[in-house]
Amino acid sequence: MSEIEKTIPIEVLRYRPEQDTEPILQTFQVPFTDDMSVLQGLQYIKDYLDGSLSFRWSCRMAICGSCGMMVNGKPTLSCKTFLRDYYSAGLRIEALAHFPIERDLVIVMDDFIEKLESIKPYIIPKTPRALSEGEYLQTPAERDMYEQFSSCINCMLCYAACPQYGLNSKFVGPGIMALLHRYNMDSRDGGAEQRMELVHSEDGVFNCTAVGYCSEVCPKHVDPANAVNINKTESAKDYFLRFVMPKGAKSGAAK
Amino acid sequence: MKPRAIGKRRPYVRPMAGWWRRNPFFVEYMIHEGTAFFVAAYALVLLVGLVRLSQGEAAWDGWLLALKSPVSIGFHMLTLVAMAYHSWTWFNIMPRTLPPIFVAGKRLSATAITSGGLAATAMASVILLVVVWRLAA
Amino acid sequence: MEVFEADIAIVGAGGAGLRAAIAAAETDPALKIALVSKVYPMRSHTVAAEGGSAGVVQAHDSLDHHFNDTVGGGDWLCEQDVVEYFVAQCTEEMVQLEHWGCPWSRKPDGHISVRAFGGMKIERTWFAADKTGFHMLHTLFQTSIKYPSIRRFDEFFCVDLVVEDGRVQGVVLIETATGQFTLIKAKSVIIATGGAGRVFRENTNGGIVTGDGMAMAYRHGVPLRDMEFVQYHPTCMPGTGLLFTEACRGEGGLLLNKDGYRYLQDYGLGPAEDKPRNKAMELGPRDRLSQAFWYEQQKGRTIEGPHGSVVHLDLRHLGEAFLRERLPQIYELAEEFLGVDPAHTPIPVRPAVHYTMGGILVDGNCAAPLAGLYAAGECSSVGIHGANRLGSNSLAELCVFGKVAGIEATKYAKSVAPGNTATLLKQAADSQISAEQLVTRSDGTERIATLRKEMAQTMEDGCGIYRLGDSMQATCNKIDELKQRFKNVNVVDKSNVWNTDWLLAIELGYQLDVAQAMVYSAINRKESRGAHQRLAGFEARDDVNFLKHSQAYYAGDEAPCVNYGEVKITKSQPATRAYGAAGEKAEAERKQASHV
Repeated sequence: MSEIEKTIPIEVLRYRPEQDTEPILQTFQVPFTDDMSVLQGLQYIKDYLDGSLSFRWSCRMAICGSCGMMVNGKPTLSCKTFLRDYYSAGLRIEALAHFPIERDLVIVMDDFIEKLESIKPYIIPKTPRALSEGEYLQTPAERDMYEQFSSCINCMLCYAACPQYGLNSKFVGPGIMALLHRYNMDSRDGGAEQRMELVHSEDGVFNCTAVGYCSEVCPKHVDPANAVNINKTESAKDYFLRFVMPKGAKSGAAK
Repeated sequence: MKPRAIGKRRPYVRPMAGWWRRNPFFVEYMIHEGTAFFVAAYALVLLVGLVRLSQGEAAWDGWLLALKSPVSIGFHMLTLVAMAYHSWTWFNIMPRTLPPIFVAGKRLSATAITSGGLAATAMASVILLVVVWRLAA
Repeated sequence: MEVFEADIAIVGAGGAGLRAAIAAAETDPALKIALVSKVYPMRSHTVAAEGGSAGVVQAHDSLDHHFNDTVGGGDWLCEQDVVEYFVAQCTEEMVQLEHWGCPWSRKPDGHISVRAFGGMKIERTWFAADKTGFHMLHTLFQTSIKYPSIRRFDEFFCVDLVVEDGRVQGVVLIETATGQFTLIKAKSVIIATGGAGRVFRENTNGGIVTGDGMAMAYRHGVPLRDMEFVQYHPTCMPGTGLLFTEACRGEGGLLLNKDGYRYLQDYGLGPAEDKPRNKAMELGPRDRLSQAFWYEQQKGRTIEGPHGSVVHLDLRHLGEAFLRERLPQIYELAEEFLGVDPAHTPIPVRPAVHYTMGGILVDGNCAAPLAGLYAAGECSSVGIHGANRLGSNSLAELCVFGKVAGIEATKYAKSVAPGNTATLLKQAADSQISAEQLVTRSDGTERIATLRKEMAQTMEDGCGIYRLGDSMQATCNKIDELKQRFKNVNVVDKSNVWNTDWLLAIELGYQLDVAQAMVYSAINRKESRGAHQRLAGFEARDDVNFLKHSQAYYAGDEAPCVNYGEVKITKSQPATRAYGAAGEKAEAERKQASHV
């Protein structure tokens, strides 16, 4: 391996609730090679410079969703952001925006988890089927209708990107709407109506003002903005249909 | 052994004040949202025109004269730029707001939707300009 | 200390833990299930699995074929009755996942599509694009939300089991956010904490795969079985060790040395053909492919790169459109991390540690020798992988045995009375003192990262793809030394809220114990079998002396005691493990001999 000669300044927003009244920036000089990720930079700091730096991480390959943080003010996954792109000026790392900071780069994500649990994120079968009957049939085209939304890794970068969520944390938000939409669009699911209540609630999709930054930052190209905005139309359709067919109004969810 | 102090969680909530100035994406967002002001203002001008029309020829001519003032011309040039930008950003975000559209079995791409929308806008504008020019002539 | 009363406690919320929780909840909705995880469930390392999960579906396939592939792949070190049970459950479990919403990839007619995979005679690997583990994990996690009897303890770190009256009666946890301790009283405990690949330097694993549950059970007298068998996955990213799925090869990818030659044909896996052929060439079993790499390296036919020698995984002939559709995640990995466009450039790959075949000894019901203790998933050794695991058997294992563990743990919990809280609390308090001692002391001298790196390096040196008695002995000595030095480990962070320095130190303790079990088991196995390959006199498989499972017992500061247990053989007598043309010939001869 080539000799490590270069160092890069990494400025980290620290916050230790037992000793700091508020977050403070601390700079570390980190030796690096061209293929090092920001995550590897943080690991170097923790291993050799300051063992008290806390941050979440695991898979290192942008699939577990743990390592979301702000790099130079932009929400990103530290495992697939590379130090070479910030050389030689350096970079500033902060905890994911719009969430309370628990400690250093660790955010409180209870709100996200509660929202995830609240949308009935599981198949509510349209038609029952015994295991002995084998799989539900689903064509590749039907699968394409929801696959993109099923790729969400729950990294919450979209929540850090969404100013409406930042201003009002009761808003259901982009990522969870993508998950809700994933189930509505799955040909095996018949639960769209049950999920509609949340969609047009006070905390639902109409809080979105189409900023679109969520889809910009999504590392998995889920396009949560699309999920949210399609559901504005669905909500309107559903509302209108309730007037036209008050009894037994079917959910207007397109299949 | 001395018991450790009970851990005290004290989550820190960062203020949102000045949020839109912190990221170029948001600055641009505020600008393109701001063009809606120009759309509303122009609609107001046209509404005034309609009212003047109902008030008789003298009022109508007065309104047409006012439109030719330098301030008015300035305002209209600015509004034209704002409307163009408004259209541009509108059609750029439009794909995000639509469900998937299939043409001959293939899904219409975001680029296709945006270009289609912009092309339609350009064409409509040209046609309108030609019609109005002819009427004025 | 907080006390939570549960009927069943499950430690680990990856595929196996979640499946166990669902099975327990369905078996008896009245029982209280505590599902403990040191990370939020969707971060569990199941999420990174890519290729697929096995289940017989094709008309020309059979359970016998799956059985034979698995037992042969395991070099006959499998518990054959358990394998028989396993292959018979796989398909139903995959259908169950499908009913729960798993987005399996489909054929045009809407049925499940299966693909070829290493060491499998006939295609039976169900897949969800190239993110199968991701989709299975999210399906299981989201489905688990349906069951109100599952109470989750997210980001609670388990430091010990509580064993009283000869049975396990609870778990002791640290709440990461506060540093406070909690005792979960339970009448049965399922460990589903995953493997221990992080004890090696280059590995595909996430940071959390540190053998926690293995070490906890081990410290309470439960043997760790077959720990010397560690799988090197042949196609991983140099440097990081990140995985390039076997599916790359299933879809037709080729492995080339520095001369652009498909070198696998020189190692009994040929002949090389244009189209992928099951159980041949690039679709041979993982241990054989990693071993071939080692030989090529010795011969100087690998390509030198900034992170060591590599070979080329060539996907160019598959074309960009095909790759973007069938292997999208691989495409992104190569582009973003290596700056390589796989449609135009071969991807540099090398073997890295991927899977721990061994683990907590359990029987076919997932029951460990310690009453009330169950284990499922990579942390367990239920007997299906033997000396080498076939790709796509692990994801299937999570479901099949996750379910078994959930059901069996439920049965056990209903058969025993709750324990005495006061007695259990006393034990839990001892566990607390032991764990806190790491962080409260002020005279630590050893840096955590230094100990960890030395451990990882020595494990790579001694327990590599090919092993030598001398280097294994050196590693044994080194691990013994590191265990002593660990007693002086210095935890820099003294805080309570989110003290990851402290948790890393506890994890290091787990890893050293597991690493010790691995290397001592390895040095004692004086033969070559599956993933444990020895040189200098022990190149052959020795069925006379070593057709046995190794069992390592914790001995505190002393070296682990390794003894041996019988292997259950039913339908498949040990034969030559052959692939490629040689494999087909052997198969034909075997058929003729048994007049099948």
